[in-house]
Amino acid sequence: MTENIMEFRHVGKQYDDNVVLRDINFKIEAGKFYTLLGPSGSGKTTILRLIAGFDQPTSGEIYFAGQEINDVPANRRQVNTVFQDYALFPHMNVAENVAFGLQIKGVKKSEIKRRVDEALQLVQLAGYGAREITAMSGGQRQRVAIARAIVNEPQVLLLDEALSALDHKLRVQMQTELRQLQRKLGITFIFVTHDQEEALAMSDQIMIINDGKIQQSGTPVDIYDEPLNHFVADFIGESNIVPGIMKKDYLVAINGQDFKCVDAGMRPNERVEVVIRPEDLDITTVEQGQLVGTVDTQLFRGVDYQITVHDVRDHVWKINSIHKTTVGARVGISFDPEDIHVMRYNETEADFDARLDSYEEGE
Amino acid sequence: MKKHHFSWSGLYLTIVFIILYAPIVYLVVYSFSAGTTMEKYHGFSLRHYADLFADTRMITIVFNTLIVALLAALIATIVGTLGALAIKETRGKVRNSLLSLNNVLMVSPDVIIGASFLIFFTMLGIRLGFVSVLLSHIAFCIPIVVLMVLPKLNELSPTLVDAAYDLGASRWQALSQVILPAITPGIGAGFFMVLTYSLDDFAVTFFVTGNGFSTLSVEIYSRARQGINLEINALSALMLLASLLLVGGYYLISKHGGRRHRVIAVKEGDAQ
Repeated sequence: MTENIMEFRHVGKQYDDNVVLRDINFKIEAGKFYTLLGPSGSGKTTILRLIAGFDQPTSGEIYFAGQEINDVPANRRQVNTVFQDYALFPHMNVAENVAFGLQIKGVKKSEIKRRVDEALQLVQLAGYGAREITAMSGGQRQRVAIARAIVNEPQVLLLDEALSALDHKLRVQMQTELRQLQRKLGITFIFVTHDQEEALAMSDQIMIINDGKIQQSGTPVDIYDEPLNHFVADFIGESNIVPGIMKKDYLVAINGQDFKCVDAGMRPNERVEVVIRPEDLDITTVEQGQLVGTVDTQLFRGVDYQITVHDVRDHVWKINSIHKTTVGARVGISFDPEDIHVMRYNETEADFDARLDSYEEGE
Repeated sequence: MKKHHFSWSGLYLTIVFIILYAPIVYLVVYSFSAGTTMEKYHGFSLRHYADLFADTRMITIVFNTLIVALLAALIATIVGTLGALAIKETRGKVRNSLLSLNNVLMVSPDVIIGASFLIFFTMLGIRLGFVSVLLSHIAFCIPIVVLMVLPKLNELSPTLVDAAYDLGASRWQALSQVILPAITPGIGAGFFMVLTYSLDDFAVTFFVTGNGFSTLSVEIYSRARQGINLEINALSALMLLASLLLVGGYYLISKHGGRRHRVIAVKEGDAQ
């Protein structure tokens, strides 16, 4: 068992009448890579500011290493932040920026120099110490900001949309580097982003935030394969979400047609939503298809074709396939029972987990 | 070399500058005249400059003026910077009212300010002289400093201060090691600006200066009333030179400092 380094208990935050966070509960284990994922205005940055100590919660408690830290100011928390705009001090050069935290703590000059060099080495900026910040590119400033934070050896490193100002290629490269850095340092990273690909690629654990609440938390695979509700299914990856009726365990009806599935634990004939990922749908012949439809559009995206098909009931399906088809052709769509994921309306995360456990144990 | 083409706008600009600078050039040229009046140029001489440097009363007044200007600029810069920092902390109505009060002082005529200071000092029983001049100079300089410093504070990314706290800085350390260095160009520009304001102020000083104390502009005014004396031309020429140097200094600081201290911030949405 790894210990919990941080915990939120019933944390709420409001600015005047504007409720930003409501009843947030989570535990952070030491040494893992967490991602807070959500759209703009979801409250994810506010959670980060509460952890860093820039804001105080309106209700609830925040624990750090077993201690309540609601009233501990930012400058006395063992947490460091990499800001979205990097927030590098413009009047200092690279080494002075990185040294700032150590110098404030009164660390010896010789040790400051050693640790600054070490940190710059870690972010692959060895030898850049004397450069002015204005002489650094966006990607390099990003690294300076990371070095300035990790040089203080924080227990938790917070990264606020840290990669969003970089271009795509650099961003992908930094994702890999950040992940390696986290493994090397062994400290907890809490990364805030609105980019679901980034979250899936880097995290041990993802917390999906929307409307001031945690919608779902889990490993990237869990969240992708078993989204809890419409929002999560829609926000993470591409998906076909269709209404259905759960006839009985392991059998769901979509548009009046019955399909086998692997979900259970719901009331008979309960109204549900069904998620099928576009890459799980295969185009086949009319005879072999479980659904039959006509191809509307086809878009070549490099790795695959993005195809839309409308079926006989005029429902439009998104399909990602590596095989080409023809616009206007009548085709069959096939999928396996495992490709179907059933979601109940208004199910809480706890109920969802309990239900999953109940029938997965029984198998 | 390419020849410049004639243009009406160029001509207009030239005429405007000639009209603006002709009186000054005229005055400076006659400061080198051997004669004692400005009716006719009598050939080159430095006698008026010699007269000027032999005039101990005038030299004392020059030093008075400089001391008042330096002290007033220094104190006004400190108070004004602190004021700007305080205004930055306020929000909404309070902030708007403070800014309006500040701007009213900027736009109200010097004569009114001077007269009100005269009444104020007389009422409080403060003797007119060095102290009254210094106090009133500080007072009309502060709003200018606030106006010069505040934009610098506003363009400072709020995350810079957060970053300082995040790295363990106390409020004082964040102020002295992050905020103040970042707004130094604004503070420097404010200092030079109010230095020139204080040096050449006439209207306010005229009201609050007493018998034993005078500054250059007041002295020149009173001498000019008694008849034209080319010693004043010499002094004016020197003051012009000093002003040019100050403007040059201000330009260098804002230009050079501006490049190094340009605030780097990549702004993108979602910063709630």
